[in-house]
Amino acid sequence: MKTMELRVTVNGQPRKWTIAPGDLLLDVLRREGFFGVKRGCEKGECGSCTVLVDGRAVNSCLMFAAKVEGCEVLTIEGLAEGDRLDPIQGAFLDHGAAQCGFCTPGMILAAKVLLDRNPHPSEAEVREAMAGVLCRCTGYIKPVEAVLAAAKQMGKRATRKRRPAEVAR
Amino acid sequence: MFEQVEAFYRPASVREAVRLLASGKGRARIVAGGTDLVVDGDPTVRALIDITHSGLTYIRKQRGGCAIGAATTMAELEESRTILALGGGILARAAATCGSVQIRGVATVGGNLANGSPAADLVTPLLVLDAVVVMAGAKERYKLPLAHYLAVRGAKVVRQSLLVEVTVPRPLGRRCGWSFQKLGRTALDISVVNVAAGLQVDGAGRIQWARIALGAVAPTAIRAGVTEENLRGRTLNAEAVADAAEGVMREVSPITDIRASAQYRREMCRVLTRRALEECAAQAGCAL
Repeated sequence: MKTMELRVTVNGQPRKWTIAPGDLLLDVLRREGFFGVKRGCEKGECGSCTVLVDGRAVNSCLMFAAKVEGCEVLTIEGLAEGDRLDPIQGAFLDHGAAQCGFCTPGMILAAKVLLDRNPHPSEAEVREAMAGVLCRCTGYIKPVEAVLAAAKQMGKRATRKRRPAEVAR
Repeated sequence: MFEQVEAFYRPASVREAVRLLASGKGRARIVAGGTDLVVDGDPTVRALIDITHSGLTYIRKQRGGCAIGAATTMAELEESRTILALGGGILARAAATCGSVQIRGVATVGGNLANGSPAADLVTPLLVLDAVVVMAGAKERYKLPLAHYLAVRGAKVVRQSLLVEVTVPRPLGRRCGWSFQKLGRTALDISVVNVAAGLQVDGAGRIQWARIALGAVAPTAIRAGVTEENLRGRTLNAEAVADAAEGVMREVSPITDIRASAQYRREMCRVLTRRALEECAAQAGCAL
């Protein structure tokens, strides 16, 4: 089988992997131990395999791995800073927003893309942004509540951070 | 699934992409978003040609209309001011219905057309906007009206060409109305039926021209030419809308499949055409 080299940054760490030209990103990430990237429908319907590529949510089951050459990939494993959870992860815990948990990485990453671009989304905007991740336990209410709560909390933190600078001025 | 693929190319130019396509002898496939190609899972594919680095991602204003690079994504169309301002924004609206955020961030206008699904969401709005497709062949570029492209896309010479651009001429004048209507089972679903329409009325409320395109109800998306012609010169009122909605049912040839029966699709053509023309009338300032 023909192989090629892939240079990619995953969760902040540069990697050099040998892949087959037809490999899909989902398969490569799981082969390399990123099991937070879930194998669901493999047809781009369920969103469990969602990862961020250069800040954009994609279904890794539909993306050829060779397409992420030179890109930054973020999986759920890269979201926390050491023991400090991302506020979205914290909000999912606080709201009991996971049932079996299989769709949770995709949900959290889809929410991250939304909040990175739109820090104060409406409930409708949250639902629209999360619509590409299906929950087979049918638990959709609490994840939406969690994302709205995370947005609120992150907004407060941003205000707190800004204040000293304003005082200094 | 793609174990037999021997090479993944990232051509930096259209010329190189077309050369690679020709040298692939029918076993090379163009990849942009890949969202249809991967699901298709064709085991005969031996080479993949990624055109997202070939300078085909752009939306440019052009003589009042616009030119859209084939590798432009649904997300880029949705958010583009140029596309939102074009023909009542129906192309942006259609792009926004094309699957989830994850799909729309990578799926492209070129892929939506070249994949040739009769249900493709961008085809009906582009048909009513009178879009033209620009192809890059081995020797030269050529243009095809979208409806013509849909009819000949299987031909060998077209398959060996690369769809590089879609151009939309300047939408005509004042008192125009536009609409895009999609019926899917869920918010993210492929269309069971989709309809796009556009029209212009004169000061007396008479229809100068009308365009109606219907998707997922024939082997390719179609323009309802007879119905369009019957509308021309008529006063835009409830009766004209009802007649047109009845009329399109005679121009479509839907099939029964997993998503809907032929009978239901035909009936939905009537409903969506009525809704589309009602929206067009409201935009054109006509009370029905």
